[in-house]
Amino acid sequence: MISQYRGIAPKGQLELLKILGGKLKGRSILNINSTKAGGGVAELLHRIMPIMAGMGMKGRWEVIEGDSHFFDITKKIHNALQGNPEKFTKEMWDYHYEINRQNAGNLDLDAEFVFIHDPQPVSLIRFKKNGHWIWRCHIDMSAPQPDVAARIMDYASQYEASIFSVAKFAMLLPIPEFIVLPSIDPLSDKNRELTPDEIGEVARKFDIPPDRPMVLQVSRFDRFKDPIGVIKAYRMVKKYNDCILVLAGSPAKDDPEGEEVLDEVQNFAEGDPDIRILLLPPFSDTDINALQRLATIVLQKSLKEGFGLTVSEAMWKGKPVIGGAVGGIPHQIVHGVNGFLVYSEEGAAFRIRQYLNNSDMLGRMGEAAREHVRNNFLITRQVGDYLSICVGVENAGKAVIEVG
Amino acid sequence: MGPGNVEGMDPPGGRFVFRECRKIIMATGKKARNLAELAELAGQASANSIYHHTYEYFFSGHIVEYTNDFAQWVGTTLEARVLSENLSNIDPFRHSASLDSLREELLGSISRYVKKYGDPGNVLPGEEFYFQESVTVVFPAGFRALNLAEFLMAIRTVDQQSIYYHFYEGRSRVKGGIDDFSRWVDDTLGYKELALDIRSIDPFMHSIEGIRAHIANFIEKALREEIEVGGI
Repeated sequence: MISQYRGIAPKGQLELLKILGGKLKGRSILNINSTKAGGGVAELLHRIMPIMAGMGMKGRWEVIEGDSHFFDITKKIHNALQGNPEKFTKEMWDYHYEINRQNAGNLDLDAEFVFIHDPQPVSLIRFKKNGHWIWRCHIDMSAPQPDVAARIMDYASQYEASIFSVAKFAMLLPIPEFIVLPSIDPLSDKNRELTPDEIGEVARKFDIPPDRPMVLQVSRFDRFKDPIGVIKAYRMVKKYNDCILVLAGSPAKDDPEGEEVLDEVQNFAEGDPDIRILLLPPFSDTDINALQRLATIVLQKSLKEGFGLTVSEAMWKGKPVIGGAVGGIPHQIVHGVNGFLVYSEEGAAFRIRQYLNNSDMLGRMGEAAREHVRNNFLITRQVGDYLSICVGVENAGKAVIEVG
Repeated sequence: MGPGNVEGMDPPGGRFVFRECRKIIMATGKKARNLAELAELAGQASANSIYHHTYEYFFSGHIVEYTNDFAQWVGTTLEARVLSENLSNIDPFRHSASLDSLREELLGSISRYVKKYGDPGNVLPGEEFYFQESVTVVFPAGFRALNLAEFLMAIRTVDQQSIYYHFYEGRSRVKGGIDDFSRWVDDTLGYKELALDIRSIDPFMHSIEGIRAHIANFIEKALREEIEVGGI
């Protein structure tokens, strides 16, 4: 499995995996979350479990069961931890605990390393038998509802360590808090190399001219992604330079404002044949991959963002990204080195013009972007981080761990 | 302080075994909204945290304009240009004997700035300075060199993290503040001039790829001089 990444991921990342694999061979790792289908956590586990198995570890993935009342409660917990106020009663917390207790009775919790993902199964810690238990929180807890945060902290504090995606998402806990940044899989349909035929087919399908510069933003039609701001920036650019604009994304079905935003964007773009608004159905990964490869410049002009992995996806294809300085975007773009961080429509327009007028800089920063992702945002790095943390919790308190 | 006593080479006189490191970042949960809080928390921060925000700045891609996380935050978020320039001018490798003296110099710069210009105020939520620590995992990079030609091939090929480990972290690991590369070509291979060339590379003024290119050029020059015949 690791050998598939040879020549793609940095050699050192693969060496580390080989060494850690040797060290952890035969050890048992249990992951528990609340679903096997849908969502970033399930997608991540689907990708990393086979890699770990290929390295000789005994990995298991269990899912907690619950009824709709339980998942209503956990949805509210999720919202409250992300700063959207929700009301909680003692009955709700008791029910949350009771469902976890029932699951603890049904699941085999026996493993040397146990990763519990997000707040749904957090209280399983009360039923720990053995092993190192680590709470992996994937959500932004930087401004949580205090009473809900206190309850979750009470459980989280009983773990041996925790993992957050970005330092600013973490909460103050009395246990070690590791940071593991998200990653992309260079072998997935969204990121794999495409043949010229595959790319050409997508260009024809979406009527992308081969001889004109293309500015692209891939994101759902959501106000936080600022599609109107992107069009305004493009119009500022058009006064000076020729280009086309492609806004590609899916309508946000779980967002009541999704349709409204799409209408707004379509109305705002009306009459301009150089703006393509592409509504992509689910599982359009190869199309998105090809569009990113066809683009001259990629934008991610978000006003609010989680981690924003679409930035790394575009950078992996050698495109410098102009991104809003929010959420995880500044972790991916090193301003002026492999892309630009912007704070306004004018800023975005200015940087697009800079790239369109300076193909050397475009190429140099695009190359730096790909290298930055290669070194920091591939799945091989993320698996290495998880396994290093396994070794780290067994060597608690050491600032330097030598392996191999 | 420092990332331990792991050497970059086998016992003296031996081959150069390239190692590299991976940094596992740890949040401390502490964050500063303004200069007063930055100074207060930097005063209390662990040695590991001060090390992480200064020496380890070069580990990942960075803006050459700054030389540590404090200077970058002050420059880009607080927009206090004078202080950012002062902080960027602090050389952590001059403090390799004690992180406390490095900490004092950082705090002294902040204090002098605040006295002269005042505190620029709070940043917006989400833009605070987040104090972090790190755990360093050190491992063989999968390359070794027995002579200068092999060394050149490896320098051109190893990961950026390996260049970082030997060129930057080596200075804080071994007494004398010298990088592992120049130490090996000097002590083991006896290339004094090449060692001086490598030591002349200013660690603050280049990206890791820039460092790699400079080292490779110097080695090439030394090898060419060795194989060239004739006096013209």
